[in-house]
This record gives sequence, C-alpha cells and structure tokens, in this order.
Amino acid sequence: MTASPRRNLSASFIARVALMAALALIFSYIEAIIPYSPGVPGIKLGVANIVTVIALYRFGARDAFAVSIIRVVIAGLLFNGLFGMLYSLAGALISLTGMILLKKTDRFSVVGVSMAAGVLHNLGQLLVASALISDLRIFFYFPVLLFSGIAAGIVVGIVAATILRTLR
Amino acid sequence: MKQYIRKADIILLIALIVLGLASTALLSRAGSATSADAMVVIRSGGELFASYPLDEDVEIEVPAPSGTEYDNPRGHALSADDESTHYTYYNTVIIKGGEVSVSASSCKNQVCVRHGAISKSGQSIVCLPNRLIVTIEDKSGGEYDSITS
Repeated sequence: MTASPRRNLSASFIARVALMAALALIFSYIEAIIPYSPGVPGIKLGVANIVTVIALYRFGARDAFAVSIIRVVIAGLLFNGLFGMLYSLAGALISLTGMILLKKTDRFSVVGVSMAAGVLHNLGQLLVASALISDLRIFFYFPVLLFSGIAAGIVVGIVAATILRTLR
Repeated sequence: MKQYIRKADIILLIALIVLGLASTALLSRAGSATSADAMVVIRSGGELFASYPLDEDVEIEVPAPSGTEYDNPRGHALSADDESTHYTYYNTVIIKGGEVSVSASSCKNQVCVRHGAISKSGQSIVCLPNRLIVTIEDKSGGEYDSITS
C-alpha cells in the first residue's frame, strides 16, 4: 500500500472490488444453501475462491485481499456466524499470503497456486480450531483436510484458469 | 497465458500427497490398542470437565462453556456430578458397552452426533461450536496424569 491515496481508492478500484466481492458472496451463498454433510467441518469446494484467484491474477494482490476480506466478513455476518467468520478469516488470510508468495516465484501455474491455497486455507482453519478448543488433538483431522484441500484447490484452479484464459 | 500444469505444480502435489500419507500413517498408530483401563476424558473449553472409565455405562450432559458462540445462560462452571440438567447449549455424551458417542448436541452442524461411536484409545469426537472434545485415553498416558495430579 505504498501508492498515493488517489491510486489507493480510485473509483475503478472500488467499483471493481465491489463487483467481485458481490460475485464471490453469491458463490458463498449458493454453497451455503446446498445441503451436504461431509462429516468433517471445513470440507467444501470453496467456489468463491474462483473469484479470489481471478482477482489475484487479473488485478493483483491488493484486489484479491480486498475481495476476499469483504466476502468473508459479509458472509460471516449473513450466514456463517461469528465463529464461522473467524475460521474463514484465518483460512483466507493464510491462503492468500501463500498464493501471493507462490505466484511471485513464477514457477507455478494457476492450478498449482490454487491447490496450495486450498491446503493452506484448511490449515488456517485447523489452527483456529485448535486454538479455540485448546487441544492440538484436533490435528487428527489434518490428513482429511489436506486431501480435500488439494482436491478443492485443483478444481477451483482449473475453473479459474479457464476463465482467465477466456478473459484475455 | 501459461499452460495449465507446470513442473513445479506436480512437485508440490507429490510433496503434499506424501505429507498427507505420512501424517495418516502417524495418526493411525494412535488408535491401535485399547487397554482395559482406558478412560473417557471430556474437555470443555480447553479444561477438564470429567473423566470416566470406558467400561462404565453412563450418560453425561456437558454444558457449553461461557465465551462460546452459544453462551450458556444458566452458568457454566458446573461440576460433572451437578444434578441440574437440560441446558440450552449442551452436548450429551453416552458411554455404553465400551463405546463412546455424542447422542445429542445443541449445535447447528451436528458433526459430533454424526461422527458415531469411538472405542479405541487415541480416538476423539469434537464439537467445535460448543468447544467440546471427548477423547479415549490410556490411564498410563501422560496427558491424563498431568492434568489430574
């Protein structure tokens, strides 16, 4: 955030981020109303992350951060609850940081970056859960969440890569 | 536009799968044997709530600790043998025939109820909204002793 205030909050930035956050929110909502019971909390596809990945690759880290945080906070207030928001926020921050770092190396494709994000997202949630319950034994769920993170990340990555290719 | 999959992606994928398999192998060792003196340890909000022998048939209602999403209006610092039951926010833990399960919970996701029964030492059932963790531990295990002594 070293740019001038004018660049920081330009009308196009606000409009763009608002649009993407709204889109991501709709994806979050659709995913929240589809009933399915994976047995372990935290396993889901994360369709909204398609928007985050596209924001990162098309507009940069600042847009991705803004879209992701706005989406998580509003989704938390609307349907996930305060604690759900806490999990999502930890997952979103850790996965975004990972995505930005991996993208900087320029060695990974969109799919690879998204896969790492899926895993990191679940790891962040697990860390919050273990802190809340004050028990590291919850890492019992680590393997399940790792594999589901890989799978979800790859699916999200392929969709995002396809959309990004069309956008160019 | 770069190609969909690059070499580094494959390396990362393999590394993650190896990590997953290694942690699975490591964790599955925990739930192997069950000794005769295994204890069911119930922790609520990070603190020991109660513990029972695995071979004792008992039904326990565990009130959710304060400070959770579902703050318990009827108080929280109740001991396990408190007579009052039927809290607004609770988990019901049942130990029967050497198996432990959560039969009811006030939480929305009901993950702990669907988890089913556990019977091996090292296994656990978790209810995140009510910050409950039920674990089967060997009496000789270090963690249980360090809390009680």
